[in-house]
Amino acid sequence: MKKTRLLFVFMLAATSIFSQKKTTATASVGFDATTPKDALPKAENKTVIGSFDTKTGTIAFEAAVKNFSFSNPQMQSHFNGANWMNSDQFPKFTYTGTIEKFSKIKLSKNGVYSAKVNGDMTIKGITKKVKVEGKITVAEGKVSVNANFNIKLSDFGISGQPITAGKVHTDPKISVAAVF
Amino acid sequence: MTKISKLNLLAALLLIASFFLPWVVWNNATISGLAMPVGQFFDIAKEQFGVTNPFPQFSFIFQIFWLIPVSALVAVVFCLLKKDSFWPSLIAGLPAVSLSLIYFLFSKNLVDQLGTSTSVWGHIKPWLFIHILAAIVMVISSEKKRWLLKSILIIVTAVVTIVGFNLASGHAQQKIMDETFVSTVKEKAAFSISSTDLIKEFITNDTASNIKYKEKIVEVTGSIAAVEIAADSVGTIRFEDSTGSFASFTMEKNQFSNIQFLKAGEAVVIKGVCSGSIFSEILNSTQISFKRSVIIKK
Repeated sequence: MKKTRLLFVFMLAATSIFSQKKTTATASVGFDATTPKDALPKAENKTVIGSFDTKTGTIAFEAAVKNFSFSNPQMQSHFNGANWMNSDQFPKFTYTGTIEKFSKIKLSKNGVYSAKVNGDMTIKGITKKVKVEGKITVAEGKVSVNANFNIKLSDFGISGQPITAGKVHTDPKISVAAVF
Repeated sequence: MTKISKLNLLAALLLIASFFLPWVVWNNATISGLAMPVGQFFDIAKEQFGVTNPFPQFSFIFQIFWLIPVSALVAVVFCLLKKDSFWPSLIAGLPAVSLSLIYFLFSKNLVDQLGTSTSVWGHIKPWLFIHILAAIVMVISSEKKRWLLKSILIIVTAVVTIVGFNLASGHAQQKIMDETFVSTVKEKAAFSISSTDLIKEFITNDTASNIKYKEKIVEVTGSIAAVEIAADSVGTIRFEDSTGSFASFTMEKNQFSNIQFLKAGEAVVIKGVCSGSIFSEILNSTQISFKRSVIIKK
């Protein structure tokens, strides 16, 4: 009886360790909409909140729009303006997805694993399916996630003369780096 | 009164009336010709789009546009008294042509640079066209002679305005694009508060707090909950409270030497630009984030 109880407690502890949701509040997301005509539409947010469920392979991010930091004051103001990201009304970008064929990624073993994530990205209140390819690195007990992908601004209702004039890229590059 | 004098009188009256009527509409604001000489033009541009006067030292020049209604009124009086209204018509009409073009070109710039509308015509009201037409008619009908001179003056005014605006605009645009943020070290804080009070304020009323602190420089005192330095040497420091809500500071890159030896539990004062708060569904807590932050005191 005592042995059974001990075994049960051990199994519960082991399950809780391997089913835990890992989180971070210092993921980094880069936004690069530069073009040959304009090198200024580029920003980074280093306080992005992320989660990685090591049991289900679900990954999620939340980024405060206003904390994307540009080098140029005009660009900073325009990015958050009502005609662009409208951050007063839509204060965060979110992404939630699930890693395909997650069982093939061995988080208990050091290594670099390619991963494809199918998920939903929400910008300005509009949600679109976005597929992301990236890498999961397991080393020294930490899980790092890195990805680079493009989004279409038009998918999220973002348009305007600067895009038409070639000063803002139609499909900006998003880069993600997170350590869980 | 001759027919040409009657035309001149009508044009002058229309010029005066249209000067005070809406010429352009920017979001919720309608702007008349009067806005420029009273100094409201750039105030409204800043309020609506964050666009400021790139040459504030020359703002006094905008007073010249008071000549439009004043000279037009003089022209009206001269017409009624059957006097020669050539000079008051010129003094009213030519600046009116110039001012109308400025409004049009500025609105076009807003569309081209900021995407404020699908086209410039989305900003323009009919009274702008009526004003410029009244100005041209007023100059042409100012007297029976000197047609060539009057035509040349109108064309030269238009060309000088367009060229001058484009030069000034190009210079201003380059100045704006070359601008970078001043280090937060050199900026004065609008608020000074403890991290616990700041977090409490946001949790109590995030709407009011976001309005109060958004894009303001805030000095925050707290005990470090976590400090992380990324591969590019940019650090992030976090203050937390007992509810799990927290304030995150992204440090300026030049702060590496100030933060590299900081540890959890240490008391510091950080000055940063507040980006407001979001509620995290992931962490079930409030995050208040700051950018361009610097250590003030360890």
